[in-house]
Amino acid sequence: MSALFAPTLAARDRRFGYAMAAPAIVVLAAIILAPVALALATSLFDYTLMNMTFDRFIGFDNFVAALSSSEFANSMVVTTLFVIAVVALEFVIGFVVALMLTTVKRGKNIYYLILLIPLLINPVVVGLIWRMLLHPTLGIVNWLLGGIGVPDIDWLGHPGTAFWTVVLVDIWHQVSFMAVLLTAGLSALPTEPYEAARAEGAGTLQTFWYITLPLMKPVIAVTLLIRLIFAIKTYDLIYIMTRGGPGDATDLISYYIYRSAFARLNLGEAAAMAILLMVIVIVLTLALFRTMRARG
Amino acid sequence: MRVNMLLAATALVAVPMLAHGQTISILMESVPDTRFVQEVVPQFTEATGIEVDIEVVNYAEMHAKLVPQLVAPEGSYDVIVVDFYWVGEFIKAGWLQPLDDRIAESGFDTSVYVPVLFDLVGQVDGTTYMLPFYNYAMGLTYRKDLLEDPENQAAFEARYGMPLRVPETWEEYKNQVAFFTDREAGFYGVVNQGLRPDPIAMEWSNYLFANGGQFHDENWNPTLTTPEAVQALEDYKMMISEYGPVGAASFGFDEAFNVAAQGQAYSYLTYNMFRTAYDDPEISAVVGKMELAPVPNGGLNGAWGWAIPVSSPDPDAAWQFLQWIESPEIARQRAMLGGSPTRFDVFDDPELNATYPYYPALRALLDTAHNFPVFTYTPELVDIMGRELSLAVVGDKTSEEALAAIQEEFTELARRDGKIE
Amino acid sequence: MAHIVLDKVTKSYAGGVTAVDAVDLEIRDGELMVLLGPSGCGKSTTLRMIAGLETISSGDLYIDGERVNEKDPRDRDLAIVFQNYALYPHMNVARNLGFGLKLRRVPPAEIERRVQETARMLGIEALLKRRPAQLSGGQRQRVALGRALVRQPRGFLLDEPLSNLDAQLRTTMRLELIKLHRQLGATIIHVTHDQLEAMTMGERICIMDGGKVVQVGPPADVYRNPASLFVAGFLASPPMNLLPAAVVGSDGGGLAVRVGATTLPLPEEYLQAYAGCRDRSVVLGVRPEDLHEAAPALPQITVAANAVEMVGPEVILVGTPEGLETEASARLSRAFRAEPGDRISLGVDMRQIHLFDPATGLAVPRPDLGFEPHRR
Ligand SMILES: Nc1ncnc2c1ncn2[C@@H]1O[C@H](COP(=O)(O)OP(=O)(O)OP(=O)(O)O)[C@@H](O)[C@H]1O
Ligand SMILES: [Mg+2]
Repeated sequence: MSALFAPTLAARDRRFGYAMAAPAIVVLAAIILAPVALALATSLFDYTLMNMTFDRFIGFDNFVAALSSSEFANSMVVTTLFVIAVVALEFVIGFVVALMLTTVKRGKNIYYLILLIPLLINPVVVGLIWRMLLHPTLGIVNWLLGGIGVPDIDWLGHPGTAFWTVVLVDIWHQVSFMAVLLTAGLSALPTEPYEAARAEGAGTLQTFWYITLPLMKPVIAVTLLIRLIFAIKTYDLIYIMTRGGPGDATDLISYYIYRSAFARLNLGEAAAMAILLMVIVIVLTLALFRTMRARG
Repeated sequence: MRVNMLLAATALVAVPMLAHGQTISILMESVPDTRFVQEVVPQFTEATGIEVDIEVVNYAEMHAKLVPQLVAPEGSYDVIVVDFYWVGEFIKAGWLQPLDDRIAESGFDTSVYVPVLFDLVGQVDGTTYMLPFYNYAMGLTYRKDLLEDPENQAAFEARYGMPLRVPETWEEYKNQVAFFTDREAGFYGVVNQGLRPDPIAMEWSNYLFANGGQFHDENWNPTLTTPEAVQALEDYKMMISEYGPVGAASFGFDEAFNVAAQGQAYSYLTYNMFRTAYDDPEISAVVGKMELAPVPNGGLNGAWGWAIPVSSPDPDAAWQFLQWIESPEIARQRAMLGGSPTRFDVFDDPELNATYPYYPALRALLDTAHNFPVFTYTPELVDIMGRELSLAVVGDKTSEEALAAIQEEFTELARRDGKIE
Repeated sequence: MAHIVLDKVTKSYAGGVTAVDAVDLEIRDGELMVLLGPSGCGKSTTLRMIAGLETISSGDLYIDGERVNEKDPRDRDLAIVFQNYALYPHMNVARNLGFGLKLRRVPPAEIERRVQETARMLGIEALLKRRPAQLSGGQRQRVALGRALVRQPRGFLLDEPLSNLDAQLRTTMRLELIKLHRQLGATIIHVTHDQLEAMTMGERICIMDGGKVVQVGPPADVYRNPASLFVAGFLASPPMNLLPAAVVGSDGGGLAVRVGATTLPLPEEYLQAYAGCRDRSVVLGVRPEDLHEAAPALPQITVAANAVEMVGPEVILVGTPEGLETEASARLSRAFRAEPGDRISLGVDMRQIHLFDPATGLAVPRPDLGFEPHRR
């Protein structure tokens, strides 16, 4: 009897579940899937700002064009280096700051506030401020360095320097994001394992390595992932500080896609590149989660 | 974007019913000339009862804000301002209303405009789509005080065997740059704006013209691999590396201007509207010391135009506004406030000439100015030039390689636009 | 092994809470000391201070003669089982057990061996690969215990290590711990609020209340001679009956206790000790096991039965003695039968009673006659 009933009940439960979830799914689809679908469609057509119609289907031509462009290849390389540099450095610095913050007893909020200030500044403003500070002859940074005998540094006018300058400014701007997220993660950790480890005789480094790091793994994974995705999308800073230059030293992919759409008016190819980027981000996300789970 | 259009469309269904014929909306860039327009519009509202709603945004945002409104059946802007850069694109896309009928009907006189400007942001292939708004043709700003110093003049003449005067040839100018550079003292013969894409592309265009080069021949065949073009790029690299301050390869116009305004450079080849800024003691340490001169052999032209988009909700009111804002009296008022002139009547006004002694120089600048190639793919060409010129400046490519790349892509763009076979 | 001495050890928290109040306690080397007391009396805090996880506000703590107030937990070499287990959520059971050894750089093979051994002893071999989240409360507790046992520290601090086990397992583990204690001769401080555990395990028990130590001694002593009303009412289940009473003179120059309508003569041996109580109110303490049915040789007290609970080996009668409001319970033979409302006459073994001063709550001292079979 119950064996006969069970499937129908389960089915009814499932149907009820779908019914309850339906509105959310529809909204989600409308908000997330629709633009993605539109981008996908755009990438398959000869769709430009001047001819915003879907009447010339060109298959994967846009993808082929993007993948065979040396500018695209260059911006992929630059973006990869940039993302690795900022995410790695911001993670290390952010974690150190977060660890220091958790030991702070009094005035924690003041530290938080100071940390949050750069985050609250619009990236455009950050770029403008730093362009001003880093002006080779009129900026305060070179003036201060000059005070200790360092010759004027060409922060943005030299390809190698410009790349690291952008990385440093991004770190200045975004490291708090890591620090704040990791601090939140640290403060949410259970205290008991720490007591147990202390009682078992673990030193500071051992505690960090065997307790903090593994317990933080999910938070770290999410933090890295979010930061990674945002780093891939870095655009404003480049637009303000270097416009991809000098040469093509800081030509990040997002800025290149922007130019494809708005300088070259080629929305189709821009969409194709955006889709490629999305695929990369999705693959990275899955890979990251898989390694995190495998090691956990 | 679709959603935006939808929202804008619904919003606009409601607004004109309430305020039909009473409000016109304009999207403008945040520049001094926009401020001068804002100062005079109350007179328009007083005279006609039509409110003018001016939305001011950064240059970077303008294009992205405009396009959705231009492609919509009914957009939110009655009047727009168009950078010469976008003219090819906007015309090709069919976003602008031809104005010839309205001009004829209301007897508006377009012959007052300096022809080089009317060609740039007025007529396209014989049809009038825009009225010139203001010009930003580029000129040479230089240290008049140093140039006129007798000691300098003697030393210069001794060294180069030519007089030190407002340069009439490119050679003279290059010698002056070399002559005034004193790196030890932190003083430079020139400051450049090497930032990608438009600052470097625009500035280098002057070098191209000054060397006797051109973007293309009469048949739109690109001519960027000529010895003149190569020499122009060699000159440009030399200026940055030998005679300019550290960092010029990454300067935008504001940073370059600051170097000049702080008295650290002899010259800066830039948009003419900066001429007035040198005399503002708030931002300049060289008040009264900088003067404007045409680039030898003519520099690069640049201008904005007024236009009525096809998607304009109220084109009649829009035309009424254009006629008024470009009427002799209002044009004169705007020029008096500091606006950058486009018209003979303004250039010839004695009172304005008394207030702004550099008017003759400005006029000369316009008379000799060359236009940038205006076609559908102007922004893309600028982007390509920015990239390649910058690669050459930092030494990742030779001048020949960079120019060959530009030549190739320019040819492709011209072909795509039907300019050449 | 460790000899632990607490000298006026006090813990006060910000906000005026004094969790542990000037505790003096000595745990001898190799002793199994049970800390017993109601919830919130400061047992865990005391233990944590000994472990070094909690700073000592005042007083001194000595381990093997050395003052260790400021010493890091790792240098005290004590293993602690936390009341809340405090397992490492990200490690499986085997790694939880082996972590302390790994920190001490014990070779992996040796770790493996000891982990297996401990797991076998605790019956958790099958769980070694699981994470704490995949364990039941009782299983977690055994892992927590195992984590302490796998090491060979100077002493063990066990904070209610058996509280979550089922009755059977608890009995087994209790025996295991006692065995272990004998084998290793380890010093153990065992916190519990289960009197049975305290009675069976402790060589000595320390009863705490409100942050203070109220009585320390071997379980039998404490059971026989509770020092105060608190101890009397706390230890054993059902606890000692505590009835309002008065000491009166009796015919023949003796003393008697009047409880409600009943007057019970005091044994001769106590006359001297209780002489000072004459004509004063006292609290009469009599254990349920010292009330007997059908014992005509003993002084009788009549109670009205309220409830009769069969608990297997015996019957607990709860009733109200004549003339009193307070209830009393009696542990009677399993053959006993009664209905609520029945009036039942019970014999009182007066040699086992205690008198307490109601004002101070302290027991009035008397000679200890030891346990002997009551005279029926
Ligand atoms: N961090 C703290 N701040 C203030 N008071 C505390 C703190 N920790 C414990 N206490 C208080 O100290 C007293 C003793 O707590 P403790 O944990 O030692 O009790 P316990 O005897 O172990 O109780 P239980 O049998 O319930 O585990 C309690 O009243 C508790 O509320
Ligand atoms: Mg406790």
